[in-house]
Amino acid sequence: MSSLSHQWRSLEQLAEDPDFVTRAVQEFPGLAEALASPHDRRRALKLMAAAITMAGLGGCDWAPEGTLISAVRAPSNIVPGLPNFYASANVLDGYATGVVVKHQMGRPIKVEGNPRHPASLGATDVFAQAQLLDFYDPDRAWAITVHGSPSDQSDLRTELAAQRAKIAESRGNGFRILTGAITSPTLTRQLDALLAIYPEARWIQWQAISRDNVAKGAVLAYGKPVELVLKLDAADVIFAIDSDLLSSAPGHLRFARDFASRRNPTRTQKMSRVYAVEPTPTLSGSVADHRFIAGPDELHMVVMALAAGILEGSALSGPPDWVGQVIADLTANHGRALVHVGPDQPPETHALVHAINEKLGARGNTLELIAPVAYPVEQAEELADLVKDMRTGKVSTLLIMDSNPAYAAPGGLSFAAALKRVDFSLTLTVLPNETSQATTWAVPMAHPWETWSDGRAFDGTATILQPQALPLYDPVSIHTMLALFTEPAPAAALDAVQATWKTRMGEDFEQGWRHALASGVVPGTANSKSDVTLRPDAGRQTPPEPANHPLTILFRPDPHLWDGRYANNAWLQELPRPLTKLTWDNPLLVAPERAEQLKLRNGDMICLSVGDASVTAPAWIMPGQAADCVVALLGFGEQHAGTVGSGAGFDFYPLAGRAGAPSLQKVSGHVVLACTDHHNLIFDETREYVRHATLAEYNKNPQALATGKPEPHLYRWKPKGPAAWAMSVDLNACIGCNACVVACQAENNIPVVGKEEVIREREMHWLRIDRYYEGSPIDPDSYFQPVLCMHCEEAPCETVCPVGATVHDSEGINVMVYNRCIGTRFCSNNCPYKVRRFNYFAFSHEEQRPPEARNPDVTVRGRGVMEKCSFCLQRIAEARIAADRENRPVGEVRTACQAACPTQAFTFGNMADPDSEVAKRKRSLLDYALLADQNTRPRVTYEARIRNPKPPNEGNGG
Amino acid sequence: MAAIFRPSANYWAALTLLGMAAICLSGIGWLWFWPRTDYARHVRWLVSQPVPFSHAHHVAGLGIDCRFCHSSVEVSSNAGLPPTYTCMTCHSQIWTNADLLAPVRQSLADDKPIVWNRINDLPDYVFFNHAIHITKGVGCSSCHGEVDAMPLSYKAKTLTMQFCLDCHRDPGPNLRPKDQIYNTEWRRTAETPSPEMLMTEYHIGGRNLTDCSICHR
Amino acid sequence: MTDIPASNARHRESPIGGSRPPLLRDPVVLPGSSIGSMTDQICAITLRERAFLWWWIAMIPAMVLTGMLVAAILYLFYAGVGIWGIDWPVVWGFAIINYVWWIAIASGGTFISALFFLTKVEWRTSLNRIAETMTVFAAACAGIYPILHLGRPWLFYWLFPFPNTMTLWPQFRSPLLWDFFAIFTYVASSILFWYLGLIPDLATMRDRAEARRKQILYGVMALGFRGSDRQWRHYHVTYGVLAAIMAPLVISVHSIVGLDFAGAATVGWHSTEFPPFFVFGALLSGFAMVLLLVIPLRHLLSLEDFITGRHFDILCKMLLVSSLCLAYAYMMDAFTIFYGGDYADRTQFSGKISGSYAVVYWVTILLNVVLPQLMWFRRLRLNQTLIMLVCFGVIVGMWCERYTIVVMSLRRTHLASAWGDFHATFWDWATLFGTVGLFGLGILLCVRFLPVISMFEMRGLLQRRPREGENR
Repeated sequence: MSSLSHQWRSLEQLAEDPDFVTRAVQEFPGLAEALASPHDRRRALKLMAAAITMAGLGGCDWAPEGTLISAVRAPSNIVPGLPNFYASANVLDGYATGVVVKHQMGRPIKVEGNPRHPASLGATDVFAQAQLLDFYDPDRAWAITVHGSPSDQSDLRTELAAQRAKIAESRGNGFRILTGAITSPTLTRQLDALLAIYPEARWIQWQAISRDNVAKGAVLAYGKPVELVLKLDAADVIFAIDSDLLSSAPGHLRFARDFASRRNPTRTQKMSRVYAVEPTPTLSGSVADHRFIAGPDELHMVVMALAAGILEGSALSGPPDWVGQVIADLTANHGRALVHVGPDQPPETHALVHAINEKLGARGNTLELIAPVAYPVEQAEELADLVKDMRTGKVSTLLIMDSNPAYAAPGGLSFAAALKRVDFSLTLTVLPNETSQATTWAVPMAHPWETWSDGRAFDGTATILQPQALPLYDPVSIHTMLALFTEPAPAAALDAVQATWKTRMGEDFEQGWRHALASGVVPGTANSKSDVTLRPDAGRQTPPEPANHPLTILFRPDPHLWDGRYANNAWLQELPRPLTKLTWDNPLLVAPERAEQLKLRNGDMICLSVGDASVTAPAWIMPGQAADCVVALLGFGEQHAGTVGSGAGFDFYPLAGRAGAPSLQKVSGHVVLACTDHHNLIFDETREYVRHATLAEYNKNPQALATGKPEPHLYRWKPKGPAAWAMSVDLNACIGCNACVVACQAENNIPVVGKEEVIREREMHWLRIDRYYEGSPIDPDSYFQPVLCMHCEEAPCETVCPVGATVHDSEGINVMVYNRCIGTRFCSNNCPYKVRRFNYFAFSHEEQRPPEARNPDVTVRGRGVMEKCSFCLQRIAEARIAADRENRPVGEVRTACQAACPTQAFTFGNMADPDSEVAKRKRSLLDYALLADQNTRPRVTYEARIRNPKPPNEGNGG
Repeated sequence: MAAIFRPSANYWAALTLLGMAAICLSGIGWLWFWPRTDYARHVRWLVSQPVPFSHAHHVAGLGIDCRFCHSSVEVSSNAGLPPTYTCMTCHSQIWTNADLLAPVRQSLADDKPIVWNRINDLPDYVFFNHAIHITKGVGCSSCHGEVDAMPLSYKAKTLTMQFCLDCHRDPGPNLRPKDQIYNTEWRRTAETPSPEMLMTEYHIGGRNLTDCSICHR
Repeated sequence: MTDIPASNARHRESPIGGSRPPLLRDPVVLPGSSIGSMTDQICAITLRERAFLWWWIAMIPAMVLTGMLVAAILYLFYAGVGIWGIDWPVVWGFAIINYVWWIAIASGGTFISALFFLTKVEWRTSLNRIAETMTVFAAACAGIYPILHLGRPWLFYWLFPFPNTMTLWPQFRSPLLWDFFAIFTYVASSILFWYLGLIPDLATMRDRAEARRKQILYGVMALGFRGSDRQWRHYHVTYGVLAAIMAPLVISVHSIVGLDFAGAATVGWHSTEFPPFFVFGALLSGFAMVLLLVIPLRHLLSLEDFITGRHFDILCKMLLVSSLCLAYAYMMDAFTIFYGGDYADRTQFSGKISGSYAVVYWVTILLNVVLPQLMWFRRLRLNQTLIMLVCFGVIVGMWCERYTIVVMSLRRTHLASAWGDFHATFWDWATLFGTVGLFGLGILLCVRFLPVISMFEMRGLLQRRPREGENR
């Protein structure tokens, strides 16, 4: 990460370099007047930062039609052919996760995690990886529009001047600002300032995927808002109640890392035990040792019983008897136990769980309470009030920034209708959406990679977001837009952000600023522990009785499209959902029993209705779901998402926030859904593939799961090279989150094929995560297994290729030479693991990823060519060349999947070096080869999954 | 009955058969020979350039080092083309109004890059890295020929896969002492260390240079 | 040799025995046709001014289908193999199925023409021309597919070991490469064999033809064959040698096609029995196709004198025998799987016989094993409609067999997560029936312009016969 540190220093120098300045001016007209006004030098600096990257675009790059284009002036700090890395952060619903963006010739081409950032530790989630495609999205808003007809900056500024006057004289009365959750110190500062000027104005924070319950619960329990920081590595017993702690809770990447550190018995002294109870399978539930299914009623009973059992030590009648088990185990592990509850449970439950955790001595050991990071508000209520005011004409000016209420507001509110009553409404958005269609003004918003901003992580640690490239269009930064409502010529985003940090960093600001930019974190900004004390009545809260409807709809965010903001991202659309393996669609998830009842097969159309609203969508049978629940995944079915997302899937927001009993009936019709699990669910012989055992079994016979000695060979191929590349995948760590799959897609220029081709079983992912079910369809155990090219030493694919297009290199990599391939596809036939993908059409020419977004170090495959995982050969080659130039052995190489993985399930390296991490892991007692009987001697091996259920005989010892 | 064919028909028949055989053979021969010709590979083809830049004048005449213009050759896969600015470092002083250099001055004036016509080109699925070749003792002229003798630059070697492999199979003979890398008319002499010595000096041989993965990714 | 049954008395009155039903104990050539009449009759068919009506009628579908083939191929080259139903787990589809199917049909013909020539079997004489013609066009149809199958067909020549500027050679361990050589040799040599067999007859045609252009045409094609002693001597030697080469080729070409599968590690293919198994299949489909061509031609061209009940009898018996061999192969296939007891093998096989595509497997068994058993009955061996039906069934059955082998195996391989499915598209079917059209077109053209029966060999046969006739 050394290349991180010098960029901005050199920029400072650049500011002095007259030649560069003139060039930058030509590249970026706005720079001229910025330089003219001396106070605006910071903005000039920012513009030049962008200009540099532009220089990359126009610089000495191989151009088509056999010409070479030399730069006019060489952009300093860009060496043709060498990458640069700049820190930034990916902000989702307010919470920032540190990332490092890789540039080639000034173009962002890949996102990596930022090891120095507490919420990332080097890992990324699927959203951060997919940012790349979002940034280059051709559908991005590019022009200011009024009622859909194009306008421009000057018109906007005149209009805003008028608005300023109006608002000023009404002291902000009738002025409303709607944003998502905000942690950005700068934005908060600006908003507070604005509210000071216009005391009557209101600022509403609202997001479709609400965490209100969490906030309210904290207030109920402690009297004031606090936030949770979990320490899963310290927890021996974890009880997850409908929990999102591994999938989407703020800081989930960090939590996943800590969680995984206690899951592999060969590396941890004491393996943690995880209980989960949930109405529909979550990632936490899938990796739990005990998973229990509970519909709303049962869940309510469970929570009450848990509270009674732990807080009063009394047992309730009614709840399933396993609760007693759990209570015993939790109490027995005082100070090492933790209960976590998801955002979909009522505030009272959260309050109870806080009380329980206090009682279990969790606070200070397995969790910390900190002052709130996000600006605490009651979002649902605020939005409701806003809509009421809009309907009653109280709202005259509405500013909507980076939020899409017209699509995602609960259908009960009918936001769009209310919007018609507002005479001036303005949407600031990166992608055109339903709201920007509905408001009078729509202004393109600067993508986080195009402007300056800041954000805070789950623990409060701040990151400064720096521009990664010159703005592709003519956007307005969120900070500028806000400021435009108070002053005619506001400070640029850079100044706004710096103004915030000048006060916080104090005297040696320059130095601290550079360091913050270089490292991607502002040191010492993490929130301190909160010393709040539990309110006495916290433990006496009683969650509201769930309405006794025969059916309950659970509205959950789609794991990849979230609330719908990523609907136009083809990578995320085509990324198989962790459990259903569905792409491009969001059928209603129904439990097997109900499917049985309604005679449903996957894809049969069903009509779900609440009150007078109803949506007809296909059904998908979800093993392990509570019979009385149906899951509606939000985020699909947008009409104005763009060429990729528009019309994909079904929109369930209209059903949200409506009173009445939901009903579900089968209607005629059947659709084929694009699922990458091309056969029916399997409930047998999983042990063939995912070897697993209980901790007890493992302790009895640790060797049982490991591969025996490989079969003898007549002619054994011995790699001669200086290194022997190999990988080990820890199935105890894999939580099926898919980060590796997108990372691989981004790194290796893997094309998107589209829904039809996925239905025709032609998806191209080099790395797939197989999901196996074991046990009964009603309540199966699920197992995740990442499968990539095994780089077999005795590779079956190699012997059958008639032209030798796939061969071994001396370092044991099974190399695919694309240009030698004539497409007989025999190799794929012969691959027991079926990891090879074939370009049936010219996918990479048809996909929407623009050429400049591709990784220049990886060949783009044409039609009729076979492809597969190369162990990120380009990264190996880079390391190899670097090493050879210095005449030293090749150092560490991290594959894309390995780098992205939050739980470090992947380990890659040189097997020949006994001290290497991979060699160590391959010596693990759990190490086994997939389909060992094929005797292909794969270089990729797995560590078998060990589960740690509570042995029946074992007492309350835990 | 009357004969259908005149006796000469036999000769014609025989001739036709032989002719066909000959055509097939020569066709195959051509297919074998053609791709190996310098012509097919555009070797020594003169390519017209926006500015008739003469390596002969700048390298042999003025003795400018390769790295002055191709600055990233030692550190990057990409040797780099000189930006207009580099040209103007000198040409803002000398030949300031030579007609030949009008395009260069123009480029600087209205900030339009000069678009050169390609001379050496490798397919997109070949990943050639200048830095490693330079570091390991392969001189520029091994692939680019004696540019100092080129009034107008041209492709000097076929740059076929065979050309690359010939060296990757036995690098020794093509290696030269460190101080000779940029010497365009370097020749192996009695004093030059033996290929074997150079191989050891540059630590070459540990790696199998004919692996597909060395050049293809 | 053959004693003439009493019934022949009746036959003498009607030299052209159209009305007469075939009998099992017929001679290979009915008496009454002399060398002269035979030559007249055969030449007449080809030299007649305008073609039969049925010929024109038959040409229509043949042309249409061939046109469809051309269209399908053009679109394939334009769009890529993605237009077919093949997908991630099932990467091989119709192209391979059809290839194996056609090449099998082809080898049946060679079997008759070459192997039985070496063994000096008499009845072969009246069939070998039809059989060889069939071989040539079936092999041609088969030959198209390996190239169409490729993802980048324009690079098929990379399979040749030729010195190139990449200094790369094909990979000689790959069964596909052997296959490429095998099919190449086979197509070339069967064309050679077929043409060589034609030369003397072409000479006859040349001499018989009145029209100048026909004289020229046949004359050129006859390559100046005058029937001189010396020419005949050379001719017989060459023909013998070629036949001796062809006979083993039949076996080799199909064993190697079998090795394409046996050489792979794929579940359901990885079995040493494949080569013989495929040869059996080849014989069965070969004989079936010959019968399928011979029976109608016999009627339409009234060749009753030369294609007699004896031929039906023998061919049907051959059909029966090869079908039994195939039955044995199927049995062994099932047996080895359960004897070997590999988990994947068993799941895959049970999927084959009971899964969603089980019907294809059982149809295969029915058509290739059960149906031919009818041939045990003497009188059924003479029932031409029935024979036609059975043969047609076998041809279809053989295609189903290949479908089972290719698709079923790939659907269910080792890793359950990689199980998939296959759905043929319009273009799959278009290519299949397109080649059927091409085949038909070829046959029809040959029937129109070339002697359907090898006249010079037939003469040899007749020369031997009348002597006995006179002795009475």
